Amino acid sequence: MQRSLNNSETLSGIIQKPQFSPYTDNGGTVIAVGGKGFVIIGCDSRLSSGYTINTRFQPKLFKLTPQTVLGSAGCWCDVLTFVRLIEARLKMYSYEHNKTMSTPATAQLVSIMLYYKRFFPYYVSNLVAGLDEEGNGVVYSYDPVGHCEQSTYCATGSSSAFIQPLLDNYVGKKNIANAEKGKLLTQEEALRVVNDAFVSATERNMYCGDSIILNIITEKGIEERVIPLRKD
Amino acid sequence: MFMTRSEYDRGVNTFSPEGRLFQVEYAIEAIKLGSTAIGIQTSEGVVLAVEKRVTSTLMVPATTEKIVEIDDHIGCACSGLMADSRTMVDRARVEAQNHWFLYNEKMSVESVTQAVSNLAIQFGDSDSDGNAMSRPFGVAILFAGVDSKGPQLYHMDPSGTYVQCDAKAIGSGCEGAQQALQEAYHRSMTMKEAIKCILTILKQVMEEKLNSTNVEVATITPGKGYHMFTKEEVEEAIKEIA
Repeated sequence: MQRSLNNSETLSGIIQKPQFSPYTDNGGTVIAVGGKGFVIIGCDSRLSSGYTINTRFQPKLFKLTPQTVLGSAGCWCDVLTFVRLIEARLKMYSYEHNKTMSTPATAQLVSIMLYYKRFFPYYVSNLVAGLDEEGNGVVYSYDPVGHCEQSTYCATGSSSAFIQPLLDNYVGKKNIANAEKGKLLTQEEALRVVNDAFVSATERNMYCGDSIILNIITEKGIEERVIPLRKD
Repeated sequence: MFMTRSEYDRGVNTFSPEGRLFQVEYAIEAIKLGSTAIGIQTSEGVVLAVEKRVTSTLMVPATTEKIVEIDDHIGCACSGLMADSRTMVDRARVEAQNHWFLYNEKMSVESVTQAVSNLAIQFGDSDSDGNAMSRPFGVAILFAGVDSKGPQLYHMDPSGTYVQCDAKAIGSGCEGAQQALQEAYHRSMTMKEAIKCILTILKQVMEEKLNSTNVEVATITPGKGYHMFTKEEVEEAIKEIA
């Protein structure tokens, strides 16, 4: 009796898995903390695949406009493609509308560009950090298919599971009795917590390390800093 | 213009030896047959007013709609072939909504005008798209709105050319109305003054007697956005000028 064969079955009965695996995880962590008149976004500079380190200095922050920075980690080839596309879209917008795109508009565009690849997504964890209409820091975080959440602090990428709870506790004052909620950090406090978060994550996570690259966004512009981390 | 008419006025994409596109010029002429529409930009907002030609007592005036909403913050007044204006208004609405969807912000008045002007020049023999208009649109549009640059008024003609204006009149009474606007307009005009001014001028250039059924008035302000005057509000505004 003839039996039609399922795609994953062969005559010998061995199940064959599809060969094509288009994704790889190159690690990387991005953190952003915003406050009154500023936002800090930082990334680690290690790019790895499995047990190998591809490079010790690969910045994962991309300046989109004079007040918006995108932090991107995950499958590095997807990051590169996504960033090139969004840069092209920003340029088209500036030509069409004679203005640079605002941070909230950029945030919405990122969401839609991710969702347009709903069924073959960019394997990327994104954070958009910038200043809103009042000049205060805002952070937008995304999942790979474009779900977007606005907040004042967020961690994403390979060490997000280590750092997000720390930020929730220290910055968001979550699960603390009688805590003064909604109070924003000063720039110095924010710099310290971002630095400490990276140092701690580097101790525990193989995919995080080498150095921190910080972008401090204020009305005056974007200041860049590089801080060394453990290299093992 | 009609002196030099020759076979060059046939094709919409053939320049005459003097370098003119007659069909486009004729389309601009077609606007001058349309009903008068006026727009005034002030620092507090923009006012639009149009006359409606009620050609028969059996006609329902409310069915001719010459001022329409594009988005919460943009409205437009049309003069010329109203059927053509539908296509352009539709494009403007689609572009405004698409912009909101993509960028979560209100589209600027200039960008909306630009988007519609792109449609306006797509006449001629169809090539890539295959569904281009065979002739220029026979409408002129006043785009009025409020965006990050404040209240703005744009005028676009059938050639797709657009200009920002402080005050502009289009349609059959445009020459007289434009002259009157030139004299009456000043930069420190309030909205109240602008409404009064626009109705006074419309009254002067209209053939019929101005009343609440044969004019449409709309305002676009930073606070309330697009607002079409109700019959009562129009009556009240007319009382002011009487």
